[in-house]
Amino acid sequence: MKTTMRWLREFVDLPTEDPGELASVLDNLGFAVEEVRRIDAPFSGVVVGSVTVIRPHPDADSIRLATVDTGDRQVEVVCGAWNFDVGATIAFSPPGATLRDPDGNPFEVGERAIRGVVSPGMICSLRELGLGDDHTGILVLADGTPLGTDFASLLPYPDVMFDLEITPNRPDAMCTEGIARELAAHYQVPLRTPEVEITESGPPATVTVDLQDPDGCPRFTAREVRGVTVGPAPLWMRIRLEACGVRSLSNVVDVSNYVMLELGHPNHVFDRHRLGDRIVVRRAGDGERLETLDGVTRELTAADLVIADATKPVGLAGVMGGGDSEVSAATTDVVIEAAYFDPPTVLLTAKRHGLHTEASARFQRGMDPNNAERANRRVAQLLAEHAGGVAAPGAVDAYPAHIPPWQVELPLAEVERVTGRRFTSDEVTSILERLGFECQGADPLAVTVPTRRPDVREPVDLIEDIARLWGYDNFGDEVSLGYGGGLPAREQRLRKVRAVMVGAGYSEAQTFAFVGQADLDGLGLPADDRRRQGIAVVNPLREEEGVMRTTLLPGLLKAAANNLNRRVPDVALFEAGKVFIPAPDQAVDPDLPAQPDALAWVLAGPQGASWDGAAREPDVFDATGVWQRLAASLELGGAELRQASPPAMHPERSAEVMWEGSVFGVVGELHPNVAAAFGLEGRVAVGEIDLERVLATPPFWTFETPSSYPPVIFDLAFDCAAELPAAALVATVRRVAGPLLERLDVFDVFTGDQLGEGRKSIAVRLGFRAPDRTLTDEEMAPIRRAIAAAVEDEVGGMLRGEA
Amino acid sequence: MTTIHDTLEALRESADARLAAAATIAELDEVEAATVGRGSPVATARRGLGQADPAERPALGRYINDVATEIAAKVAARRQELELAEANQRLAADRVDVTLPGRVPRRGTHHLITQTLEEMVDIFIGLGFDVATGPEIETAWHNFTALNIPETHPARAESDTLYVDWGEAEQTVLRTHTSPMQARYMMAHPPPVHVVVPGRAFRQDAVDATHSPVFHQMEGLAVDEGVNFAHLKGTLAHFAREFFGAGERVRFTPDHFPFTEPSAQMLVSCFACDGGGCRICSFVGWIEILGCGMVNPAVFRYVGYDPSQVTGWAFGIGVERVAAIRHGIGDLRHFFENDLRTLRQFV
Repeated sequence: MKTTMRWLREFVDLPTEDPGELASVLDNLGFAVEEVRRIDAPFSGVVVGSVTVIRPHPDADSIRLATVDTGDRQVEVVCGAWNFDVGATIAFSPPGATLRDPDGNPFEVGERAIRGVVSPGMICSLRELGLGDDHTGILVLADGTPLGTDFASLLPYPDVMFDLEITPNRPDAMCTEGIARELAAHYQVPLRTPEVEITESGPPATVTVDLQDPDGCPRFTAREVRGVTVGPAPLWMRIRLEACGVRSLSNVVDVSNYVMLELGHPNHVFDRHRLGDRIVVRRAGDGERLETLDGVTRELTAADLVIADATKPVGLAGVMGGGDSEVSAATTDVVIEAAYFDPPTVLLTAKRHGLHTEASARFQRGMDPNNAERANRRVAQLLAEHAGGVAAPGAVDAYPAHIPPWQVELPLAEVERVTGRRFTSDEVTSILERLGFECQGADPLAVTVPTRRPDVREPVDLIEDIARLWGYDNFGDEVSLGYGGGLPAREQRLRKVRAVMVGAGYSEAQTFAFVGQADLDGLGLPADDRRRQGIAVVNPLREEEGVMRTTLLPGLLKAAANNLNRRVPDVALFEAGKVFIPAPDQAVDPDLPAQPDALAWVLAGPQGASWDGAAREPDVFDATGVWQRLAASLELGGAELRQASPPAMHPERSAEVMWEGSVFGVVGELHPNVAAAFGLEGRVAVGEIDLERVLATPPFWTFETPSSYPPVIFDLAFDCAAELPAAALVATVRRVAGPLLERLDVFDVFTGDQLGEGRKSIAVRLGFRAPDRTLTDEEMAPIRRAIAAAVEDEVGGMLRGEA
Repeated sequence: MTTIHDTLEALRESADARLAAAATIAELDEVEAATVGRGSPVATARRGLGQADPAERPALGRYINDVATEIAAKVAARRQELELAEANQRLAADRVDVTLPGRVPRRGTHHLITQTLEEMVDIFIGLGFDVATGPEIETAWHNFTALNIPETHPARAESDTLYVDWGEAEQTVLRTHTSPMQARYMMAHPPPVHVVVPGRAFRQDAVDATHSPVFHQMEGLAVDEGVNFAHLKGTLAHFAREFFGAGERVRFTPDHFPFTEPSAQMLVSCFACDGGGCRICSFVGWIEILGCGMVNPAVFRYVGYDPSQVTGWAFGIGVERVAAIRHGIGDLRHFFENDLRTLRQFV
């Protein structure tokens, strides 16, 4: 909502000239100031003059020479306009004045020769003054304006425009009067409202109103004004409207808009003759059509409230008028409508037709039914003043059920309970009465709410007004302290997971929670894969964001590809976030789908390039290594990897993560086709686990005292089948080695001619240590033999000798 | 005939020069062998001692020992010199250009959103608040109705809210704020309540410099007997000082939200210009930080609290916004592009 300082001053004596201070007051009253803009005249140095002599130009027929008297001197200038005669009062720009060129750019008036005659200045058109497009002639001013007067001083310049954000609960503040009322209350000065008086004359009004839907339209006022002359509105009004962002159209339309911005109440002016004698307020018939003022033909429904003439709709009630009954240049008689429409009716119509107007914005929030007639009269008054119209006697005011103010009972204790300050009855009464509430009694106060305040229904609504006017900054400051709380175990675990990943060199990504079918296709998921059963977004922003993610991988893979495309080589990303599973969430709310947390990571592009070593391509062991770090840090005892060929993954270089008897993740290399589908080159190491399953806190781990005795260390190399999983061999070794085994490292794996086809060698280094003594080689010999025997028996590995 | 004496004196006189001439440990070893080692004049003299006049023998023995000791000491001194020189030479040969890049242990970064949320959460943990998280796909009832947002409210429109295909039509949304956890938390816990809710939220907004369909918030809620507007102000002012710096001033201006009344906007004095006006604060000296207010009694009624018994305050803060303000991030898209050049700045 826009208004100006000068306009506000018509309503209230502001004790400040400072726009910044006023902006601060408006902010503190709850009308957030979005913009403060100084409004200056688009011209300068222009003075009022009178034409005293006109004579022909010696060398041109189309232009004349006019002598202009500006009070203190007379000059003869060249003028191309013909719309004036001797005696006309005009706006004169002497050399040095600033005017506007046809593009609106400022230029300084000079002394220049036109067809051989020097013109020391010029007589101005509206366009040259920057006040409009009219350049058909010069601007002729009212007679009697003192000569030599600075022309800008006759207009509302300079001014300051305030653009205010009006919260939806305050439709009453969507106008200059409403804002002025708040300022008057704040400064504790009187509010001056305009004197709205009209003189009726001529034959009685003949238009009738048939209010068929008093629920949709509880009040409808109509007034005829005859004999208007459609033309430009006065300059001051046009300047003010344009400062407030409203384009000036004609005196009739401008007056209508002006009254809405001034008093808040939207209104409409019909051409009396195009409208006909009868106004009907009714619901539209299904399929009925109306061409609105914006030129769009709209198909109506039975839920749309319309203003109709005897046969057809002429306006969408509270939203927009129709083209058929629009005021035109030929209009002489008009009907002014100011009504009160039911807010939800207007809201739904505006929504249905996607037509949000200044009027609908006001009506859908709730206008004051008891302000409609006043607004109507104000339009008639201004039409009489600026369009030459005369109101016909006998306006219609269809208001079958008067809507009275209502009462809210306000106990003072309630004010204190919410604000923390003990207000006296007098303080509360003073604040509320300044805002136009009537208060009776002391405690509780019986507060009568004016009908312009639909937001006030409960004590807390009044408390808000009291707090606003008292000033939020004038209340005390105390700190709320909880009773413990703290970070839940689950959140602590999540923090730990992130810390582990960051420590492993991965940076945390935040990707959107949406995927598209193309992403799931890119992963090469089979038709029955559960990750294809995503929950659809009903109104996605883009089709490729049409499904809630069931896996974090697409988001991470796209992020990885974006980085590689931007020539960021060493991509290491992870994300911990929710995936969305179409099964009722029994833990949180069975009305919702399950939304477990997942963790995924990706390593792509050459890693670890430096001046003393070449870069390395990521591979499966990068992925499994991260998993091992996670398993250790999260104490996932018994978790293991199982060679597998899950969807999306390289069939020979991937594993499933097993824990407590079921699969809960995959790690390994991305399938080359999947990598290609996401625009990734080379091997890409990835992993994804169902994080939700490991967010439960394990019991405290128990300390093991490190032995202070020396270790016995020996190596064992086994000749075994090439397809034997190393993990199986290691598991056997570990079990047989027993509790003295302190450390086991697989330190060499190779194949080759000396082993033969289908064989490989796996070498492990074992370190044993006892807590209470120094171990001897003799003690170790049977253990070594037992390990060799078990490996041979269980996994078919032959001891190759000890390195 | 030269005497032992002559020989040893000559040896003694030549020793200094010979030791000085030994440039390496090996050469020194040779000099040592030739002067005091086996087969050296000293050794020869010792062996010849038995043939000396018994009367002179003790004196001669002492003399030989003195010479031997003197030369041996010089050898040892020279040896130390040479060892030091060789050690220095080895070190010199080991010289590298230490200004070459070091081997930086690789470390990732927490996303700035995570860091900011954790920092904000921790401030409230310090005040004894609980921390709760909730579903991102949420019922329209929790997201809107329980928060006193009427059926006709524009926020419910498909142009504002993302709906998902789940359950009955238009009853399930991607939560548009973290506020539905107010309702869930109160329905699960009797008063008093002191809780913050960090998390993701969603809006039907196309991505641009100031909009994102995915963003993060932290919700806060305090409900108890005797909680009032002063608690809202004081607690949030404390938060602002912890988060933005001890010197920051705060200001509260009225606002409107369906789920709080009275409602407010909290502004902090611009930390960059201290209120003087600069680009960061759009030249107004104040920065809008969060929306807050006293819990609307209607919300208490929806969740089964008795509004005549308890009062409460609540707030919601946009995580990306405050992080952007603190770190000068001019475009919201940087938070979600996952460009490692961005992420690695989140140290």
